[in-house]
Amino acid sequence: MRAEQLKGHLDALLLAALEDGPKHGYAVMETLRESTGGRLDLPTGTIYPALHRLEAAGLIAGSWSVVGGRRRRGYALTADGERALSGRRADWRDFAAVIGAALAGRPCPSTA
Amino acid sequence: MPEHRLIRQYNEALAAELPARLAEEVADGLAEAHAKYLLRGLGPDEAAQATVAEFGDPARVVAEFSRASPAKKVAGRLLATGPVVGPCWAMALITSRAWDWPVPAVAPALLGAMLAVTIAVLLTAAVARRYRVVKRAGAAGCVGLAVLDSSAITAAVAADPTLRWPIMLAVAASAVRLALVARALRPVLE
Repeated sequence: MRAEQLKGHLDALLLAALEDGPKHGYAVMETLRESTGGRLDLPTGTIYPALHRLEAAGLIAGSWSVVGGRRRRGYALTADGERALSGRRADWRDFAAVIGAALAGRPCPSTA
Repeated sequence: MPEHRLIRQYNEALAAELPARLAEEVADGLAEAHAKYLLRGLGPDEAAQATVAEFGDPARVVAEFSRASPAKKVAGRLLATGPVVGPCWAMALITSRAWDWPVPAVAPALLGAMLAVTIAVLLTAAVARRYRVVKRAGAAGCVGLAVLDSSAITAAVAADPTLRWPIMLAVAASAVRLALVARALRPVLE
């Protein structure tokens, strides 16, 4: 799965990777790699700017620590981030249901 | 364990373009990745090659940091205020017959030149790919626009104290933009 295909979904994936606790940038990438079975073809270096974008939006909070003599920045979901993740999940379920139904040639299940 | 040459070169490429805190964060990730590949049994050279390949072209990382930088976002927002604030001032100046105001003839030319430079600087921040260029241009654009809005408010209030509604509207538009600049400047400078 290439980076272009991820457009619009990367933020939700990063938020989901942080759902079970704070992580540093490389651990976020490793979590994504595990959860997608290694099918994510995204340069690891580009994860860091995306994390900064989410931090500026108030969806995650970053903090520095020192590990093994190196400074490390860890990230945790904020309350706004948790709400955003729930919203993205609901949107994705609707989207997948509609497109899945259309591609399968069957009526879309009602969401009402 | 000493840093492998390939990883050091990658870190140097980032450090040349990014603030130290950003380069340092990615450097930690590179060290983690290198250690992971060594644990998997790769030799130091192979592990460093795998690490650098995994992180991607440093120029792309810099470009992504630039794209995500607060300066680029603020520059875009401030440029978007132009089509709103500009017509407000045009209407205020025309209805107040600003050409009769007792200001030195050079003042409008100076303000016009400063406006053109500020727009050019903000456009640079909005389109540049180099982080430091985006940051500096964004900060300069914020300051330039703050000076322009403050000058316009001061001149209008001093020259036409009757404060008719077109002037009030333009002053309010500039005041809102000044508040936006004041709020944005700190993240831009960080």
